[in-house]
Amino acid sequence: MVDVAAAPRAPVTPRRRRDWTPELLSLPALVAILAVMGFPLLYLGWMSLHRWSLVGFDPPRFVGLGNFAQLVQDERFVEALGRTFWFTALGLVSNLPLGLGIALLMHERFPGRSLCRALLILPMVATPAAMGLVWVIMLDPTLGIVRYLLGAIGIDHPPLWLSDPDLVVPTLVAVDAWMWTPMVALICIAGLAALPPEPFEAALVDGASALQRFRYLTLPMMLPTLMVAAMLRVMDLLKLIDIVYVMTGGGPGHLSETINLYNYLAALSYDKIGYGSAIALVLFAIVIACTLVLIRLRRPAS
Amino acid sequence: MRRRLSPQRRRRLGFAVAGWTVTFLLVAPFLWMVLGSFKTTVDFLAFPPVFVFAPTLDNYRQVLADNSFLHYTLNSTIVAAGATALGLLLGIPAAYALARWRRTGIGVVLLLARMAPGIAFLIPLFVMFLELQLVGSYVSLIASHLIFTLPLTVWMMIGFIEAVPIEIEKAALIDGCSLVGVLLRIIVPLTAQGIAATGILAFIASWNNFLFALVLANEKTKTLPVAVLGYIGYNSIQWGTLMAAATFITLPVLVLALCVQRYIVRGLVAGAVTG
Repeated sequence: MVDVAAAPRAPVTPRRRRDWTPELLSLPALVAILAVMGFPLLYLGWMSLHRWSLVGFDPPRFVGLGNFAQLVQDERFVEALGRTFWFTALGLVSNLPLGLGIALLMHERFPGRSLCRALLILPMVATPAAMGLVWVIMLDPTLGIVRYLLGAIGIDHPPLWLSDPDLVVPTLVAVDAWMWTPMVALICIAGLAALPPEPFEAALVDGASALQRFRYLTLPMMLPTLMVAAMLRVMDLLKLIDIVYVMTGGGPGHLSETINLYNYLAALSYDKIGYGSAIALVLFAIVIACTLVLIRLRRPAS
Repeated sequence: MRRRLSPQRRRRLGFAVAGWTVTFLLVAPFLWMVLGSFKTTVDFLAFPPVFVFAPTLDNYRQVLADNSFLHYTLNSTIVAAGATALGLLLGIPAAYALARWRRTGIGVVLLLARMAPGIAFLIPLFVMFLELQLVGSYVSLIASHLIFTLPLTVWMMIGFIEAVPIEIEKAALIDGCSLVGVLLRIIVPLTAQGIAATGILAFIASWNNFLFALVLANEKTKTLPVAVLGYIGYNSIQWGTLMAAATFITLPVLVLALCVQRYIVRGLVAGAVTG
């Protein structure tokens, strides 16, 4: 793979003039991308500057940056924004250590290891909407298996999980972690496999303990890998919607409403197309900004 | 028998126990789902939950007897197959061009597509499809699913095509084969496995997608992830049928995913637009 990339590219056609073949080959894809992504994004920008509802016959009314100004005063938006960051922070602090832990475990040799690794992919490929509902049943406060298991270890009065105002966000984060921690683990497994063995051998000769080897070798050498995993998780956590929609619908009240869910509701349920477009642009900008920050953070480490 | 295990074997045994426990915990929700799909309502309402019971197929009968559920299955299949096929058709030539004549900038576009929230495309697409009177059509669903199947295909296929030795193509060109011929007779056959893996990943991404169908589908064209919501009502949850429906939806995906497990992470990095 690398060799091909490094080889000087031979002129594929004997003619001297500009070779348009690559452009022609990618033209259909380019047209499709412009049609379903490029143009809609431009349209989104235009809509964000207008007040517009689809029901009724009023044409879109130009309001300049009015929609964006309104965002700042929209308490529900501000709260959803803060909550989304809370989701993201909780997701990161749970997924990364757990994922690295699972990866360290799966890095060791034991019988059935490859089967375990294969099974790790299941939570992240299962249909999130369906699995979210399965979790609703498992978390049921009266009949759920979770209540039973907690009772078995002596916790007789477990919380209401999804109906508890304080616990609804951590509970959703836990379900999200069930889906996506294995992905972090798989990324870390690949990272661990790529680490050079020499430093570890040297440390072993020098009598470093397992904890020291982890603290001074594995962890710093795994930082770039963890950053990649963090970046992917941040991108998806900031956009979290599927499981929230099916498991709580944003409730109780709006206490688990993420920015993406509010965005969907504002634009398509409350029919505020222009306002919803403004939220979507802000959300997009936030995802880009957070990703760029993480890319920056990654640079000195690698 | 009585002899003590050597420290090294004990270590391995410890890792095996820990590794299998973690794996079991991650897989347990699936087991509970499948188990629940065979329970009668009475068994479902038992507390403490029963683990051994007389299994019933009633839940599956109920799900499959519901004509609309089979119709939603057909919808999901049509949309996922369409979006996958179109993604491959458009994506493979583009990936070939990008792999052989490097064009920088594609990485940025792919990254942007990965970062973009689905709703940013959905709002304008909804309005556009409304104008074109296409909301609720398969066309709108398949076209919108290209938003993730196409970048995924291009991203995956660049890797597979770069692994094909360029010398074969040069030889074919010297022998007078056209570029399209090279693509069809050399690249496609030599990356067949990669195409299959890419296709499966795109299919899974499309099959699982919830938000796009929620916005763009109507009662007639809605796909399974949206349809499954119908089993949760305000007051009553038909637990057994919900578990059967969830099993029915996820099982094909799990089987497909295990076939391409090596490529799953690469596919997820390229990423379905999840929300």
